[in-house]
Amino acid sequence: MDRERLRGEVKELLVSGLRLDVRPADIVDGAPIFGDGLGLDSIDALELVVLVEERFRLSIPDEEVGKRAFASVDALVEFILQERGE
Amino acid sequence: MTLAGRRALVTGGTRGIGLATALGLAEAGAAVAVSWAHSPDDASAALAMLAASGARAHGVRADVGDPAAVRGMFAQAAEALGGPPDVLVNNAAITEDGLLMMLPEEAWDRVIRTDLTGASLCCRLALRGMIAARWGRIVNVVSPAAFLGQEGASNYAAAKAGLVALTKSLAREVARFGVTVNAVSPGLVETRLLATLPPARRQEMDRQVALGRPGTPEEIAAAILFLVSPAASYVTGTTLHVDGGLTML
Repeated sequence: MDRERLRGEVKELLVSGLRLDVRPADIVDGAPIFGDGLGLDSIDALELVVLVEERFRLSIPDEEVGKRAFASVDALVEFILQERGE
Repeated sequence: MTLAGRRALVTGGTRGIGLATALGLAEAGAAVAVSWAHSPDDASAALAMLAASGARAHGVRADVGDPAAVRGMFAQAAEALGGPPDVLVNNAAITEDGLLMMLPEEAWDRVIRTDLTGASLCCRLALRGMIAARWGRIVNVVSPAAFLGQEGASNYAAAKAGLVALTKSLAREVARFGVTVNAVSPGLVETRLLATLPPARRQEMDRQVALGRPGTPEEIAAAILFLVSPAASYVTGTTLHVDGGLTML
């Protein structure tokens, strides 16, 4: 899948799935998803795990993988591409 | 039918408290899967009773202490119920009694694995579906042993006390997703085990209970049904002691 389109889809999912009060375009590609930036905490990450697993048909089995996948939007895009073998 | 459209999984659901709970859930309109580990006869009798209630019901053999078996159980339950369970009753438990100093290490490990780790594995697997649905009910069946201690059952008491602490911690972790996690602590319950005790021991036990008699599986199931019902929407992280006044906690 086209990386740019996937990045847009991920941001859309973040905003709609986690009901964020920002526009998808305002999410910074390289900034951490959890922590200060978007006001999300580690418990919100549980919901993102579920959303990402369902949407992209992959598995984020534990915290180690989750930390890597959710380091930033770019990292999440990279993770999805990798898991799909693209 | 307050639970119409719900999908429930009851571990150890083919006899005693588990069966009474499964039947209550079925009567309330939920589709119900029950797991069992030991007795195929109990399982077929239970499934016949569940089928008679008109509910969608499914039985699966699984040792809850075995992670692969638990994964298989959830996959089967989701298939049979038409989606992942949104009600989980962790009822499966074993005992292997003995005074701690002389207790074989394996007896300690087996009881912790089934009674505590098993429930934790089931919670882990149930949560994804519950979080996705932004609704879920988990009820863990514990014991007065967790609160009072019990001589000759330190492994069981420790496992159940652990399950109480898991209940509270998980309740905090998943509250924002509409998932509640509670425990029910049944006291003496009219079961096969109780029937095998000598009369003198029975009388002694009954005397410790304010209501002077053991409870029935249905009386315990009623508390579990309350906790999964809309009436308990503001209850989480707590233990409901259904013990006839044994502990008064």
